[in-house]
This record gives sequence, structure tokens and C-alpha cells, in this order.
Amino acid sequence: MIIEMSKLRILGPRERLEDVLRVLQDLSLLHLSAPEAVPLAHPELSPVQERERRHLRDALDNVEQALSALAVGENGSAAPGTVTPADQVRWARLAWRTRRETDRLTAQAAALEEERALIMKYQHFFSAFRSLLESESRWPNAQAYHVLLRGREAGTLPRLRASLAAVIGEEFQLFSQALPSGELAVLIVVSAQVAGRVERLLAEARVQEIPVPEAYGGKSLSVAIPRMLERLGKIPREMEDIRRRGQELARAHGADLRRARAALHDRLQALAALPLSGVTTRAFVLEGWVPARARHDLERGLRTAFGEDVVVSEVAKEEWESEQAPVVLANPRLLRPFETLVSLMPLPRYGSIDPTPFVAVFFPAFFGLMVGDVGYGLLLAALGLVLHARAKPGTTLRNISEIIGPCALFTIIAGFLFGELFGDLGQRWLGLRPLLFDRAEALVPFLLLAVAIGAVHVVLGLVLGVVSARRHPRQALGRGVSAAMVVLVIVGLLAAVGVLPRGFFSPVVIALLVGFPVLIVLEGLVAPIEFLATLGNILSYARIMALGVASVMMAVVANKMVGAIGSVTVGILFALLFHLVNFAIAAFTPTIHALRLHYVEFFGKFFSPGGVRYQPFRHWTRAAADRRAAPLTPGNPRQAA
Amino acid sequence: MSPFLITLAAALAVGIPALATAWAQSRIGPAIAASMAEKPELSTTAILLVAIPETMVILGFVVAVVILVRGG
Repeated sequence: MIIEMSKLRILGPRERLEDVLRVLQDLSLLHLSAPEAVPLAHPELSPVQERERRHLRDALDNVEQALSALAVGENGSAAPGTVTPADQVRWARLAWRTRRETDRLTAQAAALEEERALIMKYQHFFSAFRSLLESESRWPNAQAYHVLLRGREAGTLPRLRASLAAVIGEEFQLFSQALPSGELAVLIVVSAQVAGRVERLLAEARVQEIPVPEAYGGKSLSVAIPRMLERLGKIPREMEDIRRRGQELARAHGADLRRARAALHDRLQALAALPLSGVTTRAFVLEGWVPARARHDLERGLRTAFGEDVVVSEVAKEEWESEQAPVVLANPRLLRPFETLVSLMPLPRYGSIDPTPFVAVFFPAFFGLMVGDVGYGLLLAALGLVLHARAKPGTTLRNISEIIGPCALFTIIAGFLFGELFGDLGQRWLGLRPLLFDRAEALVPFLLLAVAIGAVHVVLGLVLGVVSARRHPRQALGRGVSAAMVVLVIVGLLAAVGVLPRGFFSPVVIALLVGFPVLIVLEGLVAPIEFLATLGNILSYARIMALGVASVMMAVVANKMVGAIGSVTVGILFALLFHLVNFAIAAFTPTIHALRLHYVEFFGKFFSPGGVRYQPFRHWTRAAADRRAAPLTPGNPRQAA
Repeated sequence: MSPFLITLAAALAVGIPALATAWAQSRIGPAIAASMAEKPELSTTAILLVAIPETMVILGFVVAVVILVRGG
């Protein structure tokens, strides 16, 4: 349900505005909204406050960057009770110093990583040229060239040798070794006198010489490789040293930085709240929303802090539109996990209907009817228990695990109704008999059951539409007529096929003929089309039967594999695999379709999206910031209050 | 009516909407995936848009069942 809100007006002397805001922030109850009365001005920040805000933002940026670089967790991030300007200055300095230090460490780590990556590029050459380098060392006054021949150029090695012989005679040595990449590492050692001619030859032949990094000793790999290997050995120690210094920083300043972040956010929020007040030369006015049940807590808190200086009064309901009020969903513990499914849609407007209780009943029922198997239900329950054990309270995963529970229960119940345990295995092995009907055989009864459930669900949606439009009589009457006509069509059909007495048929047709013009008058020319769409919506519930039959057929096919394949063991393995696939499909497809039946067919009849989330003016916390960053998730009243 | 024609009619009743559904989803899928890359909050819309064309094949399946049941 959507809990009742009160709109409050707080009046007081202007010089106490900031103090009142501080107390309101401590109370964490009031969702501020700017007062709209004409003589009031909305105070702008003074130049000093503007400068303070700029500094706070810079400091906060430094804090966030430093915390991110230090990978500091979220524990204990509450702001300290009293924050003085001296605290702010100290935190700003600390944040600046820590950020500078973390930036330096990050840059050092990046440089080391880059260096390691560069050296690793040469790793194949290390082994390939190690033996060649020993050959090079035997030629003290020689010039060495390290070249790389690609695989397809490997045939050029003899030609290279011939060309060298043609240019410089026999004054060279040529060594080669294949690399794992398929390339050929070649070392050419020549006397220093003929080096120029060899370089020209290599350039003309477009033979690629391996570039030697300058940082490791200039031109020769024979000098560079030992140095590179030495550096490669040192880099992990240096990285570890950087990591250790980061940990020391986190230990020394992490807690302070977390407190600083919360306090800086708090102060920024307080500054942002100032323009939401209205002021005259001597007084201020604050307006906002509070859950009706928490109104007295807020009044008591302000009275304790300010006595008679500050007055709180409730704004009469006639003075505000329900669309302006923020929304808090509050449901019993058992239903609350289903708020996750409702939160996938925009928040409902204040004064409209929270569909969570209906989703909590119908979603597991639809899911159960589609899967309808005792075995799959038990597997699902086990999956839900595992998820429940692993998920932390309050997380989406925990909510999903708590939704799985009722879904598994309805699946098991439907499994008994249809006599299914891993398809027809229950019938064959345990003598399980359907209490209702066998889905694999009774297609038409299952179809009728699905459509009947659809009719109930859609008519319920129309009735809720009438209730939610109660403040707009014409709209409510139109929806009521539409709902009545849907019921008449169903009654007429049942009378036509003989389920109900045939005497009902003629009056129903007459009532429908009368209802159509009334509907057009109330809802316009589009009403008949919408009426037909509503009938289409009911037929859409046939998907419950379609997916149910598909599920049981898959399970039956899986069981038949044991006999169909020659080897029993292979057959059992195939059957298990097929059941696993069917279970995976059964876990996802019915979820999507049950959601779709709610979002399109059911919600479309009454749901009014566009509600404003209740966001009380409060102290900053990581969790609250995350909730604000997720625009489709409604606030949790318990967390809010 | 001959069993062949009844079976053919049922097959067409479910097959043609299946192709239509596949075609519609092939157009919707990439579009919504591209949209979600920029706006992840469109996930609900994605579920709805991808599930909506499946109504065609589901209703086709129902019609096929009716044809088979009525045709004996």
C-alpha cells in the first residue's frame, strides 16, 4: 500500500533557518518542497556560501578519488555528530594530500605495468637470442644486427646470406632460431668497417630490425636483454611496494576520509536545501512531506530543539494536489519482496493503488500454473534456499530468493493438481494421479482454465481502475461500465455454450447493446476499441496454457529418451540434460510471461505511474546515495524513517 | 476433412505466427539492446517489447489446438 502523507509548514525567525535545517537533517523525516506562496522569496546562496560550496565540491572530488584509488570499503561512513569549519579545512587538506599521494602511486604503478608489458614483448627473443648473444660476444669489435623474418619470408634467409656475401664477402656470421610465433629470429654479426653497407642492404631489402628500447642500453640487444631481464625481476617487488604504501595510506586515512565524505555531502545537501525555503525579511517558511504516522516525531523534535520559536502546522489536504505528494510503499513483510517486481515499473502516483499485494498473489500463481511440476518445484525451492542463504538482507538477490519461495510452492501445488513429477515420471513410478486434469491430454480444459483466470485478473484490474478513479466520477463510471460489459460478454459466452442457462443469452445481448452507447458517451469513440482490446487481453492469458503444455511436453520427451536411445546410461544422461534445460527454461520464460501479464494486461487497467519518490532531507549515506542514483526503485519507508 | 489437411492447417496456424513473431523480435531485439546500452533503466520496457510479439505465436498455438481438437 501507499502510506498516507501529511504536508507540513514550518515557520520561524529567519536567523534560525540554518539551525532548523540542521535539526531536520538529523530527524531525516521531511521531504522538502519549495513553498509557492507569492510574497515569499527563495533565498539564494551568499557569495561566501557559494565559495564554500565550490570548495566543498573540490574537497569532495579529492576525497572520492582518493577513496576510489585506495579501494576503501564502506564500513563506518556515517558523518560525525558536529562538524566545525576547522574540520572541513582539515579534511580538505587531508583529501588534497592523500589524492596527490594516490595519484603519484597510481602513476608509478601504471609506469611499472607499462614497462613490464614492454619487456614481455621481448620474451620470445630472450630465449631465442640467448644462445645467439653468446656468439655475438665472441666478436668484440663487431656490429650486431637483430632482425626478424616473418614465416612467409623465411625462404629469404638463404638469399639474405647470399646478398651479404655479395656485398661484404665472408666478413660476417649469421645465426638464426625459430620463434613460437612462426617467425625467425636472426642475428647478423659483421665487422664494424662494413656496418654501413650492411645497414643499407637491410634497408633496401626491407628486412625489419628489432628495435632496442633506449632505456636498456642503446643499440645492441646483447646489452639490453640482460638489463631487461634484471628489470623484469625487480618490477614485482616494486609493485608490491606500491601496493603496501597504498594499504598504509588506507589504514592511516581511510576512516577519516570516509567521515569527511559523509560530512562534506551533508554540508552540500544543507546548502542545496536553502533555496527550497521561502523567506521574508524576518521569517522563513519551510514546506514538505512527512509520513502521517511520523508527523508527531517531527513536531516533537523541532519543539525540543527550538521551543516556541519554530511553529509546525499541517497544510490542509484541500490546498494540495495528491500528484504532488511523494510516495512510500509499505507492505507486510511477506509481500515486501514483490515490491522488487513492481519497482521495475515507474513508481505509482500518490493516491493511486499499490499493485504489490495483487502481484504477490497472482505472480506465483501464474508461474506455478505454467511450470506445474512437483519435481521442478522442489528444485526451485532448493535454488531459492541456496540464494536466500547466500544473499545479504535487503539486497535484490535476497528479494528474488524470497519471491522464488512462493513460486516454488505454487509450482508444487500445481504439480499435484496436474499429477506431474518430472513430467510423467510421477505417474509411471509413484502412481501419481492428477487431482484436476492431465495437462498433456486435457488441452481444452487447460485453455479454458487459463482464459478464466485471465477474465478474473482483468476484471479485477478494471475494478481497481474504478477504485483508483474514484475522485473522477465520469472516468470511474466509464471504467465500471467497461468492467460490467466484460462480465456480460463472459456470461453471454457461457450461456451460448450451455454452461449457464440459455435464458441468460438474450438479456445479456440486450444489456451489451445498451452498454455500448453509454460507454461511448462516457469514454469517447475510442472506448469500443479499448473494450475489444480488453477482450484480447483476456485471451492473452492463453499463454499460461501454451507455456504449461510446452513445459510438460519437454519433460515427457526427456523421460522418453531413456528408452529411445540404445544405452540406458546414455539415455539417462540425455534425459537429465533435457530436464536441466527444461528447468532452466521453466525458471525464466514463465517469469517473463507472468511479468508481462501483470505489466500489460493487469496494470494497464488501473496503474497510474509517475509518482515522486519520498526522499527525506537527511544525512548522507552510501546506501541512500545508491538509491537516489537508481531512479526506478521506490524508497523503503523503514530506511527512510 | 482429411487428417492431412487438419494437420497442415494446425501447422500453418502455429508456423506462420511463429515466423511473424521471430521477425518482429529480430527487429525489436537489436533496437532495445542498443537503447539499453545507453539507458539501462529501460530493462522493463525491454521485457515487455520482446514479450509482446510472442502473443502472436501463442494465439496461433491456441488456434492450432482448437483445429486439432475440433478436427478430431
